[in-house]
Amino acid sequence: MLGLMTLPLLSPAQQNKMSVAPSDPLIVKRGEAAKQILKAVILPGFHVNSDKPKDEFLIPLKLTWNAGPLEAKSISYPKPEEMELNGSQMVVYTGTIAIETQFVAAKDAAPGSSTATGKLKYQACNSQMCFRPATLDVHFPVVIE
Amino acid sequence: MVVKLSDYRGKVVLLNFWATWCGPCGVEVPWFVDFEQRYKSQGFAVLGVSMDEDGWAAIKPYVSDHKINYRVLLGNDTIAQLYGGLDSLPTSFLIDKEGRVAFPPHIGLISKNEYVNEIQCLLENQQTTSLHAGSDDTSASLACPAK
Repeated sequence: MLGLMTLPLLSPAQQNKMSVAPSDPLIVKRGEAAKQILKAVILPGFHVNSDKPKDEFLIPLKLTWNAGPLEAKSISYPKPEEMELNGSQMVVYTGTIAIETQFVAAKDAAPGSSTATGKLKYQACNSQMCFRPATLDVHFPVVIE
Repeated sequence: MVVKLSDYRGKVVLLNFWATWCGPCGVEVPWFVDFEQRYKSQGFAVLGVSMDEDGWAAIKPYVSDHKINYRVLLGNDTIAQLYGGLDSLPTSFLIDKEGRVAFPPHIGLISKNEYVNEIQCLLENQQTTSLHAGSDDTSASLACPAK
């Protein structure tokens, strides 16, 4: 073990470098499809890897939806930015991004209100340092008619 | 296998916390490979402590791809807490021959020259002062890195 000494370091406080804006309710008829846009905001000065980073060792942005009232058929990520950082070409997201999910309500889904839940995993960096991978809980109201 | 920093007493150690997914950490890796090669015979060692959550499955290919010639270890949250939490990477400590942290830690990417100056300083100077936790004397540090 490397426990030689304990240090009272003032490391930067771990905080979310990305947040998710509240989503509007999605109203879907049984057996029909609908799309939902998830808006996420990345803190100024930071970037997160795109869903398809160029370097195999980097951790991609990934949205997943839990089983629930709707079935996620496809997820579309926005076009990333190309960024040259410390001599490497990166594909990243900065600022506000919108991720689109195509959902389908089952033909036999029970009508009524519920909540769709999921997770958004990301890994953020700035030009000097990176922060541990983090996961945000995401959700939005669903009304099945 | 458990590695103790005390096993390295008598050597200058660059203790680097990193991860395979950390771009700035990757910038430093070739520097550390160079340091290990250049200073090893003078009583110097790099210890790279990976904070990868996927463990050796992630680390081994990276070590191979980047031809890392220094010792790489797998860290965990317990280790992280001992070193201030390690919320951001890279974070590096220069440890003197007596096993003390010789300079304030480097949190984030710094220049290669800063490392060179500190390593050479510690290799050339036996008399060091340190920044111990709880020490009343935190103002004293080696002057030589100001090259």
